[in-house]
Amino acid sequence: MVGFLLALIGLSVGVLIGLNAPLVFPQAYAKYMSVAVLAALDSVFGGIRAAMEDHFDNKIFITGFFSNTLLAAGLALIGERLGIDLYLAAVVAFGVRLFQNLAIIRRHLLKK
Amino acid sequence: MSRSIYLSITLVAIFLGLIMAFQFRTTSAVDKGVPFNREQELAMDKKQLEKDLSQLREEAADLSAKLDEAGKGNQIFALESELAKQKLYAGLVPLSGPGVEITLDGYEHARVTPTPVHDDDLLKVVNDLRGAGAEAVAINDQRIVATSEIRLAGNHINVNMVRLSPPYRVTAIGIAATLKSSMEIRGGLVEYLSDRGISVVVKEQDNVSIPALNSIPTFDHAKPVQRG
Repeated sequence: MVGFLLALIGLSVGVLIGLNAPLVFPQAYAKYMSVAVLAALDSVFGGIRAAMEDHFDNKIFITGFFSNTLLAAGLALIGERLGIDLYLAAVVAFGVRLFQNLAIIRRHLLKK
Repeated sequence: MSRSIYLSITLVAIFLGLIMAFQFRTTSAVDKGVPFNREQELAMDKKQLEKDLSQLREEAADLSAKLDEAGKGNQIFALESELAKQKLYAGLVPLSGPGVEITLDGYEHARVTPTPVHDDDLLKVVNDLRGAGAEAVAINDQRIVATSEIRLAGNHINVNMVRLSPPYRVTAIGIAATLKSSMEIRGGLVEYLSDRGISVVVKEQDNVSIPALNSIPTFDHAKPVQRG
């Protein structure tokens, strides 16, 4: 329960900082950022799922979060350079995983 | 152990919120932006409109100046000045000013085979003088206007339906040096005419007087088209 509260507080603090920070990302990076956001969301839902299955590992969670985010953005960047819309792969992969995680979380909640 | 879990959860949440907010702001900025080619198109439109504007302003200034003059009760003056201008354009006003006097004669200084001056010789001279910026031209005091002909008729040359006989004296008002050099340029008319055995003398003069057209052109057959 404390973790849930902390997550909410952290999220709102991050949003506040992001909305009030004086710098705006250039449009050119919007594509990479969008994939990174998707990856980050996937990691968070993965973490929630792991917590519900009682095998939450802090190291896996934190490394997974940052490596997924960076990898997704990097994939989009490489795709851009190669002329392939590689970010679509990230969108599909993370999207599918996101829904899977959500489904599992829902089942856990319903089982309770 | 549990403290580090909370720490990582908070960290991740802050980071997630941060990048989501950034992404939100970036995409809303994209929506507000104008596409590049649209921007270019608009810039071109703007340039064109600015050009139009300056032209229209000039026109408006001109028209308002005329309107002012008309409003001051100077209609007669305005009309008279317009009439004087039109007369000047039509060649109905005698003129004087700096210019050149060119004398052409086929027989006097016949070094080569004597040749009479042809109508096209005079046409070439007139053409060259106009090309050099002559404001008024006359041949043997016959003013050259828009309707003037230069035409061989037997041993004479007709200009404005008047018989002219040699020597032909072509007078022109303009920048004397320019007119003279346009005639005397290497490969120019003086060289060409001299080769043909015609004597050409070009004299710069401070004051050339050119008479008005002495017959007013008539329009017996041509009628202006009525425009509805």
